[in-house]
Amino acid sequence: MRSAPRFFSRRLTARERLAYGAATFWFAAVSAALVWPLYVPFARVRPFVLGVPFALAFLTGVLVASFAAGVALYRWESRRGFLDQDVSE
Amino acid sequence: MPAWVVVFGVTVGYLLASLIVGLVSGRRASRGPEGYIAGDRSLGFVLMYFIMGASIFSAFSFLGGPGWAYSRGAAAFYILSYATVGLVPWYAYGPRVARLGRRFGYVTQAELFAHRFKSRWLSATLALISLVAFLPYLVLQMQGAGYVFNVVTEGRIPHWLGAAIAYGVVLIYVLASGVMGVGWTNTFQGVFMMVLAWGLGLYLPYRLYGGVAPMFQELAAAVPEMLAPPGLDGVGSRWSWGGYSSAIAVSAIGFSLWPHYFMKIYTARSERVLKKTIIFYPTFQVFLIPIIFIGFSGILRYRDVIPADAILPTILMSMDLPAFLVGLFCAGALAASMSTGDALLHASGSIMVRDFVCVLSPRALSESEQTRLIRVLVLVISAFAYYFAVVSDLSLVALLLLAYGFLVQIAPVLIATFYWARATPQGVLSGLAIGCSVVVLVYSVPVLQWQQIQPGIFGLAANIITLVLVSLLTAPMDEAHVEQFVVS
Repeated sequence: MRSAPRFFSRRLTARERLAYGAATFWFAAVSAALVWPLYVPFARVRPFVLGVPFALAFLTGVLVASFAAGVALYRWESRRGFLDQDVSE
Repeated sequence: MPAWVVVFGVTVGYLLASLIVGLVSGRRASRGPEGYIAGDRSLGFVLMYFIMGASIFSAFSFLGGPGWAYSRGAAAFYILSYATVGLVPWYAYGPRVARLGRRFGYVTQAELFAHRFKSRWLSATLALISLVAFLPYLVLQMQGAGYVFNVVTEGRIPHWLGAAIAYGVVLIYVLASGVMGVGWTNTFQGVFMMVLAWGLGLYLPYRLYGGVAPMFQELAAAVPEMLAPPGLDGVGSRWSWGGYSSAIAVSAIGFSLWPHYFMKIYTARSERVLKKTIIFYPTFQVFLIPIIFIGFSGILRYRDVIPADAILPTILMSMDLPAFLVGLFCAGALAASMSTGDALLHASGSIMVRDFVCVLSPRALSESEQTRLIRVLVLVISAFAYYFAVVSDLSLVALLLLAYGFLVQIAPVLIATFYWARATPQGVLSGLAIGCSVVVLVYSVPVLQWQQIQPGIFGLAANIITLVLVSLLTAPMDEAHVEQFVVS
């Protein structure tokens, strides 16, 4: 078990930098997809998806994808033993 | 038996259950401020999940969410959007905040920032910003509770008495049990709200249109402008993309900075618990989807309901539902109000004592004095909020928007704390002062709100520029001290 690495730290290994970089990029992209201008092409009523307007289905999809990405990051950290510590320094 | 008696009975039953849960749960925490405010830093996943979920879903979500969808259509999607990413920043800095809290004994947000920048004035300023942000929010919760009681008793219990009954119960368990009382009642209230929201969100479209899909098809044919973002603004015109997007940006940035949520980082037992709570948080957000369905279901069947926030009670009262079910709805709306109000009351008393009184007092207060004073201030603040809830005519929604603008100004302080060693106390304090002043200016002179962009965004830009410039022009802080905080 080792201490959890810190986001944006210079001391990350190459693999950690890749994982945290990808996570940061993903969540930045998700945030951008919710507002102007990236959301505009998806802000449509049709086609309906599972009975709801496309714009709402898109937001729900983003929410689900965001949750899935979070779970993947959590599981990756868990497998590497980063999470099995209390929050004492 | 008259229907209102059954409805009232269910509501009172819910209140009693909340009271029992709140009182029993506080027995395990220690008596000092760390036990009362941070639950001895021992909270597990379930409690953390429901504290974070239920304290966010307020009377605004339960009554205002459907109201937005009913009156402004797709504009209501913004609520779902900002909540999707709102808590994500915690994954990066939350564990560090928790570790520093345990190491230095912080239980509030301002204690961390004041220590990093060695400034008691920063602590006092943040305490005042927190109070200004909390009060209108708390008043709205009390008004929501009074409204529910008035509706369920068909006007027999006036608003002022309803708010007093609900918040009398809240006060008892907050005073007696602190954060443990808030946590366990929020768990109870959160489960209750989720079940009710999904039940109503699927049942009302089915009953009124034959299902969710037929409802949206009928709406698309009759009022397509209501289904396409950015929806409508407050007066029924097309909302601008600037207004919609900046509302999401301000809310998403402010979301993880609300001092009463931020304090909950200190309550987590471990990094695993904290990160699991953050990761699973979007599963609570899904609860907003049926809330939005409820508002849409009223658009074609219940025209011209004023105020729009009354759409859900209006639909329920017109449907000839069993009194027991109506009672459950009323209890759900009360749960939404109380689960936010209790966290706000608990945090506002704690913050004013730890971040304002303790740092400005000429002598150090003992732990027991602090806990006693927190309880006194919880009473004073609730009395103050109650006055505004039942007596004052002040425009609270307007005040709430202003409060969010102030809250967002904390973001640069947080980033400077962990990611910019060169930041100085003069920089963050002047950034806060300029940022908040710009928010007030843009808010007061609407012509300055270009593209309906929220005042908080303009304040944030001014804040960041000021923080950087003033920091570079003032002497850097002691390197050894700063190294304890900044990620290297």
